[in-house]
Amino acid sequence: MKNNYLEIKNVDFIIGGKTKVKNVSFTIENEGETLCILGPSGIGKTTILRTIAGLEKVNKGSIKLNGKLLSSKEKNVEPEDRNISLAFQDNSLFPHYTVKKNISLGAERNKGKKKQKINFKEIIKLFNISKILNKYPHEISAGEAQRASLARSLLTQPDLLLLDEPLSNVDQSFKEEIQVRLKKILSKLKITTIIVTHDSYEAFYLGNKCAIILDGQLKQFDDPYNVYHFPNSVEVVNFLNRGILIPAKVTGENSLENKDLGIIKGNFIKHYPKGSNVQLLLQPEDLEHDDKSNLKLEVVDRKFRGTNFIYTLKTGSDLLIPVFVHSHHVHQHEVDEKFGIKRPINIDHIVCF
Amino acid sequence: MFKNLNIWYISSLLVSIGVLIPIITVFFSFFESTSDYYEILKNTFLLEYIFNSGVLLISVLILTFLIGTISAYLVSFYKFPFSDFFKWGLILSFAVPPYIYAYSLTAFFENYGTAFTILTNLFGEGEYNKDIPKFDGLLGAILSLSFSLFAYVYILSRASFLYQSQNLIELGRSLGFSKFKSLYTLILPAARPAIVAGLSLVAMETLAEFGAVDFFSINTLTTGIYNSWIAFDDLAFSNRLSFFLLLFIFALFIIENLSRKRAKYHFNSKGGFKQKEKINLSGKKSFLAFMFCSIIFFLSFLFPLSQMLYWTIKFPENLFDIDIITLTLNTIYLVILSSFVLIIFSLVSNYGNRVSKNKILNILSTLSISGYAIPGVILAVAFITFVAWFDENIVKTLGFLSIKKVFIGSILGLVLVYFVRFYSLAFNGIKSGYEKINISVDESSYLLGYSKQKTFMNIHIPFLRNSLLFVVILISLEIIRELPITLILRPFNFETFATTAYISASEDLLEAAAVPSLFLILIATIFIMLTSKYILRENEK
Repeated sequence: MKNNYLEIKNVDFIIGGKTKVKNVSFTIENEGETLCILGPSGIGKTTILRTIAGLEKVNKGSIKLNGKLLSSKEKNVEPEDRNISLAFQDNSLFPHYTVKKNISLGAERNKGKKKQKINFKEIIKLFNISKILNKYPHEISAGEAQRASLARSLLTQPDLLLLDEPLSNVDQSFKEEIQVRLKKILSKLKITTIIVTHDSYEAFYLGNKCAIILDGQLKQFDDPYNVYHFPNSVEVVNFLNRGILIPAKVTGENSLENKDLGIIKGNFIKHYPKGSNVQLLLQPEDLEHDDKSNLKLEVVDRKFRGTNFIYTLKTGSDLLIPVFVHSHHVHQHEVDEKFGIKRPINIDHIVCF
Repeated sequence: MFKNLNIWYISSLLVSIGVLIPIITVFFSFFESTSDYYEILKNTFLLEYIFNSGVLLISVLILTFLIGTISAYLVSFYKFPFSDFFKWGLILSFAVPPYIYAYSLTAFFENYGTAFTILTNLFGEGEYNKDIPKFDGLLGAILSLSFSLFAYVYILSRASFLYQSQNLIELGRSLGFSKFKSLYTLILPAARPAIVAGLSLVAMETLAEFGAVDFFSINTLTTGIYNSWIAFDDLAFSNRLSFFLLLFIFALFIIENLSRKRAKYHFNSKGGFKQKEKINLSGKKSFLAFMFCSIIFFLSFLFPLSQMLYWTIKFPENLFDIDIITLTLNTIYLVILSSFVLIIFSLVSNYGNRVSKNKILNILSTLSISGYAIPGVILAVAFITFVAWFDENIVKTLGFLSIKKVFIGSILGLVLVYFVRFYSLAFNGIKSGYEKINISVDESSYLLGYSKQKTFMNIHIPFLRNSLLFVVILISLEIIRELPITLILRPFNFETFATTAYISASEDLLEAAAVPSLFLILIATIFIMLTSKYILRENEK
């Protein structure tokens, strides 16, 4: 039987005597994969990283990396002996060393032990930090410090790389570019990575898998596509905030009915008996705009998102429904105007609770 | 608890025991029988001791509050001639211990003293003695202590004004307040914790002061402790007086600690702090501010310095009577030895606190830094009491040779008591350095493969270099000025500048006291100038 690369089994994640996340089990099957952990602030995402890094101990369950037991109630390999690198959210550069010295310390860790897959120059170029090399940590911005810290972590060529909100301080204009570069380098170096973030788009882009932590539990562990399209609970739907739940009644094998929208057709991902009352997940891209349609709803808000608009429409039962429209759409609807929805409504996969 | 027993526990425990010994000794001695001297004293002088200590305390607090806060207010908010100089010039008063100030005061105003000589040179021979005011007795002690200690209030108030109240002036202006109204309704109340912390330090130093009050022959609890031991050989009574004094001190220590916690909040506040341009004073106001600071600078520093310099020049033979080289070497010897021990222990327990995050260890550390609040006289006398008791009841019972000589009248004993007294300086100095290193820096280091020892040596020590230097200079400054512990515990024929000055002054040879006093002031001044940046907190962002 093939061993999983990282195996977390029934672990309670504890910090300061307080259990933050209970009874967590998940695996990263292959080396080089990236897992993104999503969850609201203060839920315990960082505690998970700290525990995997060995900075916090476990008193239940086990953590294994590459077949080697790192943490259990009986055993705890010290952080310095794990070859796991953690890039902290806050500036954790050594304050008395220049950025250059800080980053080069990363290369020292495995000097002579591992073949260098990336050198200092490449990493500097990758994160665009050549201008700050001779500066001290207090002389650079938070975003620059974060990039330098990331560079240092990568240079250690760890067996497991842990990134805590790695781009939270990076300028928006630069963020996407860094995301692309980070993804490339992680894949090139085959570094197994766990990234903690609260930005679901970042998680969906960078992760091979996503873990959703809510209410002290691991709620969902799945591919990004599945997490978005097939959320497994109302809590995950609410957390991702990418759609709403509307009441509906199952009318057949492939259909249900809502009082305001009428018949909705599609493939159920889970079977519900005819006549059941359910909560249907309606995401912005599920409905299509059609001015000729006789199903008209009132516009209460319109958000411009560059490539698209998200209209918020009010139904007769005062439900607020988001609808996605490409922004090159020839005409716009103002607030209080009527907005047509194409009928019959067809949803590729129907998610109900 | 034993599971966690390690070097950090043990070192913190040792220091805490060191601090606890004098307190426990004093407590138990309170119930011991004393000689008849106690009965005599109880009926005659005890109330006087307490009364004098009280009057001295209150007067010094009022004066240091006025001098300290007004000068801090002026240099923090206004620009006037030499205001940048006064900013650090006013802390030079630290270089003059109260007892040397007392010598200067007496030397200047005594009959046929320096004031008399000046008047004679200016106006010819005359009967000036009766017109020259005499600043001796309680008044002399109050002035000596106030001009020597006001810098505590000055430094802490100034830091608070700078870090916290700058925005308040703007706020006051927007509310239509006058400058004076802003001062007493906004700035002073906001700086209150810092001012109280400064005044508490003044109070502790005042109650602990031995040299100046002894010189002016004022009976206070401190001199009572010393005299009952030296003159009447009544260690038990000495400890009984210490008990009363410790009650005073503990009350102050609690107040100081409570207010310091709040003061710290102000110092560390992030954001909101805006260094504002100072207001330019002109005309009469500028002149008055300049005059006020000049007078304080003159009285607190230039006056004692020039008086000691004048006498050294006037009586040059004294320069050759004392062995300056030996005194300097003795001082350096004590400084190096004490600094070494203090730094090592403080580093270990600070690091221990940092890595173990243990509550018991934290409590032990807090306890161990309270030694600074216990007057040197009490520490010294309690140390002797404890060693005598230990020698009599443990060592001799076990049949070993007496250990008295090893600890009493030896460098080892002296360094041990210095250690307890100045541990808080070293501990807090290093702690404030450590507070600037984010804990994630340690964790990053572990994750880069550094062990705890390697993190300590390669990451902490280089970063703490400046803090360590600062601590060494601060300890040196304290040891150079320290009098009662050195006086009581020093080995036979082992003198420092402070003890030499004291002995000459107590033999009424003030001229002879001038040379060691002058050297003491000069060396202390150099140390203060080296640390002024730290003391004034200008290195902090």
